[in-house]
Amino acid sequence: MDEPALIRNAQHGDLDAFNTLVLAYQDIVYNTALRILGDEDLAADASQEAFISAFRALNSYRGGSFRAWLLRTVTNACYDELRRKQRHPTIPLEPETEDGEEMETPRWLADPEGSPEELADKAEVEHAIQHCLENLPTDFRAVVILADIQGLDYTEVASVLKKPLGTIKSRLARARLRLRECLQSFGELLPAAFRLEEERTV
Amino acid sequence: MNTPSFHDVEQLSAYLDGQLSQVEKTRLETRLQSDLVLAATLSDLRQARSILRRTPGRRSPRNFTLTPKMAGIKPPVPRSVPALGWASAVAMVLFVLTLGTNLLGQLSLGANAPMLSAAPMTSEGYGLGGGPPATTQPSTDNSQLLPTPEPNIQAVPEATPPGESRLAQPPAASSTKASSQPVSIWIYIWLGLALILIAGALLIRLASDRAFRRKVGSKRNP
Repeated sequence: MDEPALIRNAQHGDLDAFNTLVLAYQDIVYNTALRILGDEDLAADASQEAFISAFRALNSYRGGSFRAWLLRTVTNACYDELRRKQRHPTIPLEPETEDGEEMETPRWLADPEGSPEELADKAEVEHAIQHCLENLPTDFRAVVILADIQGLDYTEVASVLKKPLGTIKSRLARARLRLRECLQSFGELLPAAFRLEEERTV
Repeated sequence: MNTPSFHDVEQLSAYLDGQLSQVEKTRLETRLQSDLVLAATLSDLRQARSILRRTPGRRSPRNFTLTPKMAGIKPPVPRSVPALGWASAVAMVLFVLTLGTNLLGQLSLGANAPMLSAAPMTSEGYGLGGGPPATTQPSTDNSQLLPTPEPNIQAVPEATPPGESRLAQPPAASSTKASSQPVSIWIYIWLGLALILIAGALLIRLASDRAFRRKVGSKRNP
């Protein structure tokens, strides 16, 4: 994929070129939105919104990491959604059991690959991580998602969030510290490969 | 052993990502060899980071490709028949011409009407009744010239006292026949042309839209 050529063509209004870029980046954009928002439907909406905004604002892209530029768009869309949620909180219509307990959400979109045990392990880890991420302040959450989950370097994260490098460094350290504490609380619930050792060899 | 300060945690986090300068790195590594709490914190941070990096990725539930409508792109104006690009303008001109001609025709008829009605009253009115009707010829001179107008008046039925309509209609109809025939032919020609142009432009536009949608659809779902 000749990314610069596709971007150039898209900037001249070539929708097919832009859609090729969408197909290349949609998973990373959707996963970022999903980790920030913690809701599949909202994440899909935010991703779609981000791609529409990106196409309209494509002429403001002045080179550099296109991935970082796209992630900035989706992060902004997620912040908008979080602000909207704060203004108009909603109660999700989760199915409940007869005892009023919340039923586990059906996982229609689960990856069909892997054994049932592996899928269950994955689901546990995902649940633990998502829970701990949602306990972080939004700014910390975005930093840790971009740096540790999406693998962006500090400069890219700073460019996405439009914050100084020092702020990114500091927020990432705080976020990791909090996540460590949160993940430790899951302890035995995490699969062995993911478990944090509670007793350190001193 | 003290719990590490936030500055230490920040340094450890940056160390994990290779963001420290060589001097800072050497200094921290020296401390790590002697400070076991610092080493344990580093291990915790590394593991937390490792878990995050292994977060299961999801595939997007659908394609987020944009349709031309989402992107606000309108189908291009067809260029197959450039002349038809002006079809609506030409049709408008023809419409105005048609309307104008029609109005002019009516106005000229209206202007001729008094003359037409006045002329036969003198010529045909006499012919019919043998003299001018009393209502239309009130002048005393005429009554003096025509001494016995009474029988003529009686000859005209009372139900139609003015007499003008009866007398004026046949010549008016005969005089407009000649002028209205070419006007109505042009009206029909212009209207027909306008309709053909509008229909042609619409058909080309529809065909172009359909071709655009088919092209976009085939690219979206190859």
